[in-house]
Amino acid sequence: MEQFFLQLTNGLTVGSIYALIALGYTMVYGVLKLINFAHGDLFTTGAYLGFSVLASIALTDRLGPISGVIALAVIVMVMVGIVGIVLERAAYKPLRQSPRLSAVVSALGASIFIQNAIMLMYGATFFFYPQDILPKFTIGIFGIDIPIMRCIVFIVSIVLMAFLYLFIQRTTIGTAIRAAAIDQDAARLMGINVDRVISIVFFVGPALGGAAGLMVGMYYGHINFTMGWVYGLKAFTAAILGGIGNIPGAMLGGLILGVIESLGAAYISFAWKDALAFCVLILILIFRPTGILGERVAEKI
Amino acid sequence: MKKFLLTKKTMIFILAIFFFCCPLLLNRYWVDVLNNVGLYALLGLSLNIILGDAGLFHMGHAAFYAIGAYTAAILNTQFNIPILFLIPMGGVLAALFGAIVARPIIHLRGDYLLVVTIGLVEIVRIALINDVFGLTGGANGIFGIDRMIIGGVKIRKPHHFFYFIYLFMIFTVFIFSRLKQSRFGRALNYIREDETAAQGSGINTAHYKLLAFVLGAGWAGMTGVIYATKMTIISPESFSFWESVIVFMIVILGGSGSIAGVILGAFLIIGLPEIFRGFAEARMLVFGGAMMLLMIFRPQGIIESVPQLYQIRNR
Amino acid sequence: MKRIVMSLLLLVLLTTGSQAANDFIKIGLMAPMTGSWASEGIEMKQVLELLAQKINTSGGLLGKNVEVIIEDDAGDPRTAALAAQRLATAGIVGVIGTYGSSITEASQTIYDEEGIIQIANGSTAVRLTEKGMKHFFRTCPRDDEQGRVAARTIQKLGYKKVAILHDNTTYAKGLADETKGHLKTNNLNICFFDALTPGERDYSTILTMLKAKGPDVVFFTGYYPEAGLLLRQKREFNWKTPFIGGDATNHPDLIKIAGRDAAEGFRFISAPLPQDLPFRTAKKFVSDFKSNFGKMPNSIYALLAGDGFRVLTHAIRQTKSLDKKRISNFLHQKLKNFKGLTGRITFNDKGDRIGDIYSDYMVVVKTTFELQQ
Repeated sequence: MEQFFLQLTNGLTVGSIYALIALGYTMVYGVLKLINFAHGDLFTTGAYLGFSVLASIALTDRLGPISGVIALAVIVMVMVGIVGIVLERAAYKPLRQSPRLSAVVSALGASIFIQNAIMLMYGATFFFYPQDILPKFTIGIFGIDIPIMRCIVFIVSIVLMAFLYLFIQRTTIGTAIRAAAIDQDAARLMGINVDRVISIVFFVGPALGGAAGLMVGMYYGHINFTMGWVYGLKAFTAAILGGIGNIPGAMLGGLILGVIESLGAAYISFAWKDALAFCVLILILIFRPTGILGERVAEKI
Repeated sequence: MKKFLLTKKTMIFILAIFFFCCPLLLNRYWVDVLNNVGLYALLGLSLNIILGDAGLFHMGHAAFYAIGAYTAAILNTQFNIPILFLIPMGGVLAALFGAIVARPIIHLRGDYLLVVTIGLVEIVRIALINDVFGLTGGANGIFGIDRMIIGGVKIRKPHHFFYFIYLFMIFTVFIFSRLKQSRFGRALNYIREDETAAQGSGINTAHYKLLAFVLGAGWAGMTGVIYATKMTIISPESFSFWESVIVFMIVILGGSGSIAGVILGAFLIIGLPEIFRGFAEARMLVFGGAMMLLMIFRPQGIIESVPQLYQIRNR
Repeated sequence: MKRIVMSLLLLVLLTTGSQAANDFIKIGLMAPMTGSWASEGIEMKQVLELLAQKINTSGGLLGKNVEVIIEDDAGDPRTAALAAQRLATAGIVGVIGTYGSSITEASQTIYDEEGIIQIANGSTAVRLTEKGMKHFFRTCPRDDEQGRVAARTIQKLGYKKVAILHDNTTYAKGLADETKGHLKTNNLNICFFDALTPGERDYSTILTMLKAKGPDVVFFTGYYPEAGLLLRQKREFNWKTPFIGGDATNHPDLIKIAGRDAAEGFRFISAPLPQDLPFRTAKKFVSDFKSNFGKMPNSIYALLAGDGFRVLTHAIRQTKSLDKKRISNFLHQKLKNFKGLTGRITFNDKGDRIGDIYSDYMVVVKTTFELQQ
């Protein structure tokens, strides 16, 4: 039983990272009906920017560990958000009237571009986050030792997601985003500046992805320019699982995917855990194509 | 006389002759590049049926490629079956796989189909890495695949492969062009343009979509066998989602639906990074940027598919 | 019309891209310049360039300058096959490389078909020299020997219940199998034998499972990036059971990935580290390297690559030719006890290096690697 619970927590930790990244995919898809393949690379950008900022400014020395990390997170999120907006302007905005496939190809091109830009700027080897800023003890929950960092990662992700949810549900801008996701033209008729909404979506989504990148960098310790690939694919799967376009869906999808992976790896087989995740995805798509919570797009007959 | 020299057809003719003499003019390395271009062009043509003609968003094409290659590798290394027989066999097995896999997902809407095909190719790759049934050799793949022997000549050197691949390509182009004009091609065209209307006209869309998958898969399988005998070693890394992405891009950038476009797309996507090798590490960066720009300025691809013209027969 | 002219232009471009004549002796290096093992590849490059520079400034080889042509194999079999294709058409006499048995294997046939001499420096899987390839050699030892030493060491340390973890690559699985065989003959209990997936970040699942099995020691036969992650994550769980690694865990980056506290107490089995090599040639080279690049070489595999290069250039000099068959014969038959950086080198018929490299000692990690007898 202890095993099960431990594996569950492992799954939740990994899953919360997937969830954060999945939010970026789902928000963009909801509004633009576009799968932003470059999103995984924005995640990587977050990890690298965090590394650079940490290395150059040494925030934790100045502000103390907790506020230092928070400041770091804010800076990284803002920076990645800006990159997101630039990406949208450069690669997607000109293609709004074009067939969807073109945007997909442009997204792939952008992904290659960003990945290689990172490689050229930083070099091809691994980079290591400084180790001393993180707490390393375990805490006992229900009598089981769980590393504190896992709890922190999980809690931080949940907090960020909660903020996002409130933002989307309770604020005017959030409502504008939801409106644009349902029907862009109708939203325009209602006086919503859809361009601005899109820019905001491309700020918030990537910012969350960047935060995820930062956490991964800090928690696992090393980063390299291809790290966005696998995470991006899994997060994307998670978004679909939960129902693409649906924000709570992305959160749920990420957590569920993480847990399936962990439990699947522990009780079925390690080697097949990724295949398992994809199988689940395919099954869901065949039997319930709108995902667990259903997608938020009106079907056109 | 002047007019004869400058007509489009003559120029193409001269180009073709020049092209076929390539192995004699270029060094080994560039002939090999052209071979790779040829293989990707074949893959592109097979994906074109699914993606370009039928309009199905398919990003898992590497899975069919893998089935063909691994079938050949396993049957050849375990049972010593000659590669030449394995080409059709690989194709058939891949087609069969395509049929089984496509059947449950054929009705999915655009983006969902895309995602499922991504999942599919990843599952296949993971199965290969995990040495399923103990046959696939795991992450290290299978090595020691034989070469083909045609008419006493062992197809081993780059220029052997050059002729083989490009002759196969001519054959492929011929078959696919005929297909476009056939009932099958017309049905696919209709389905792509407006599926609801096609259904309304009585076309069994599921049936034709499935056929498109099967045909595309089979051709990719055959190409996989050729790839296996060319490399003599295959490993799961060659059949990742990224490979699917490359073939996908070849079809889209070249101009989906247009056969000439796909071939040109292969030349550009595979050939250009090789020429750009001078830029060393920055070449992929340039490539990514070029992709984005191309989509922005010419989203229909380089050679767009001309709307099909059909002869209306007088009755 | 325009398109046709452009295509013609393209073809012309390709044709003129063909190689021009050369006046260098070209030796290839196939190494992981990108990917998880980039640290190894970059050092291999540095070692070879330093050696080539030395030759060129002291009169060259057979009167010509030596040029090292480098191709990246990215630590992946397919990229390696492509890199091998490129090197095979670049006019090289021989190639040094590479690190990673499956990577080397992917390139073997290509070099062999062209008769190019290949000297691998970091590929210890047994089957690489069991294929009858006349031009393949390796300066690194083999896994059957390493397995024997590993089993012996584990027993010597008094462990009874052993868990073996590998990563499904040719090398790791091979080493794991060898070790398991030896341990079983001596009646040790193997409570766990499975693989992780390399390239991932989160191994908490497999660690949790391992912990539940309660082994005395875990023997990990994979590579250093994963070893580092395992150590780091195991520490988070407060799991104190010792880990032992095979020779692919031998790289200082391991300490960086794991973090100093986690890496402490980790043992691995390996050929000697550069700073521990007792030979005069080695000590001199290591100090030359330091003055050139500002730091000591970290990796024994880079030095093994250096030995491959030295052996090849020595053979060229002795046979006074670039004929690959003659060089190959020389290496098989005439090269005896050559003074390498890593010890005396002699090759047997299969291309394997004769002699014991893995001694019965291990290295213990504190903040750097330290020798333990």
